[in-house]
Amino acid sequence: MYNAFMITVRLPQKKKELELPGPRRVMDLLADAGVRPTTVIVTQGKKLLTKDHRVEDGTTIDVISVVSGG
Amino acid sequence: MKCKRCRRAEAAVELPSHHSAFCPDCFFVFFRRQVTEGIRKLRLLAPEDRVLVCVSGGKDSLVLWDVLIDEGYETEGLYIDLGIDGYSDRSKEKVLAYAASRGKTPIVVELAKEGIPIPEAARCARMQECSICGTVKRYFFNRVAAEGRFTVVATGHNLDDETARLLGNLLHWQRGHLARQHPLLPGADGGLVRKVKPLWRVSEVETAAYGFLKGIDYVTEECPMSEDATSLVYKEALSRIEDRMPGTRIVFYQGFLDPSNPLRKGAEAAAPAADTARATEVDAEEGAGTPRACASCGAPTYTETCSFCRLKERVRKARSLRAAGGSR
Repeated sequence: MYNAFMITVRLPQKKKELELPGPRRVMDLLADAGVRPTTVIVTQGKKLLTKDHRVEDGTTIDVISVVSGG
Repeated sequence: MKCKRCRRAEAAVELPSHHSAFCPDCFFVFFRRQVTEGIRKLRLLAPEDRVLVCVSGGKDSLVLWDVLIDEGYETEGLYIDLGIDGYSDRSKEKVLAYAASRGKTPIVVELAKEGIPIPEAARCARMQECSICGTVKRYFFNRVAAEGRFTVVATGHNLDDETARLLGNLLHWQRGHLARQHPLLPGADGGLVRKVKPLWRVSEVETAAYGFLKGIDYVTEECPMSEDATSLVYKEALSRIEDRMPGTRIVFYQGFLDPSNPLRKGAEAAAPAADTARATEVDAEEGAGTPRACASCGAPTYTETCSFCRLKERVRKARSLRAAGGSR
């Protein structure tokens, strides 16, 4: 759900969604979400975010795992 | 952070292993150069090749297909429907949508119609799904390529896949496996089609970023059968090393491929002929010389019947036993 006072971090493969206070850098959000930065790409709509990108409150980002098995 | 190539646009992809960061346009240039350089260095493809690209609906194979089309290769896609509830349908949807966007229609093999859907076959034969899947896929990759007169089969294995496999082979001193680990497996008389891995120089993060920025809609969920795959353990170990020492993966793999690497020399001495390597690739058994035709299906093999037919027979017998048990 949209929250203007928090950052929404979606992890679709884990079927998880977190609300974290902003503004924060992507790498800090990932640390709070327990995700290693080199195993994911982070997107905001059609934009790909670098790990030092500053995310503002009210923003939704997606954390997509890139690790494939088998 | 600014793009380190054009120095104007905002960077979208940072690559510590290359001490670099790129805006989307410059990243496309970088990524395609990495792939074409990997093709050129190991002579994986020639301009006149007819390439059968094996596509699963995941990022790597669709990105591979995309790059090869853009580079002007003559390609067709092959999708193997593994018969996994829900997952296979969603994967197929992505493949068909991507293919349509490039004016292509992929070749589709449905394992349910072939009598060997992976989950049911694994249950019947009491085998690991990934093991069955590997045998079945290799069989159809080669069969479809040979029947369709393709000159080469291309798969989307990337640097992370190849280094994970290398680490596993080294940890267990799998000399035979090391001998046949290479982005190029030459073809052989008797119907073995050349197999290549053009993405061997690019990482999973790079293919995912390329796919996302190009708007390729790939399946992001993992195959439900691969949750316990050992390759994931090796990948995580290597990824932790890469976190601390960016660039280690590519150094590790390029060092392995270097012809002057004593380990590689030993591997080549153990398997001097290209078709020896393919024997184990196709049949998962040691073999040498020119393959003969499988007594059952005619596919190239170094044994009386090929590993696919033996697998089918095992599943058939297990089904019969189950049916007999159930009717008592």
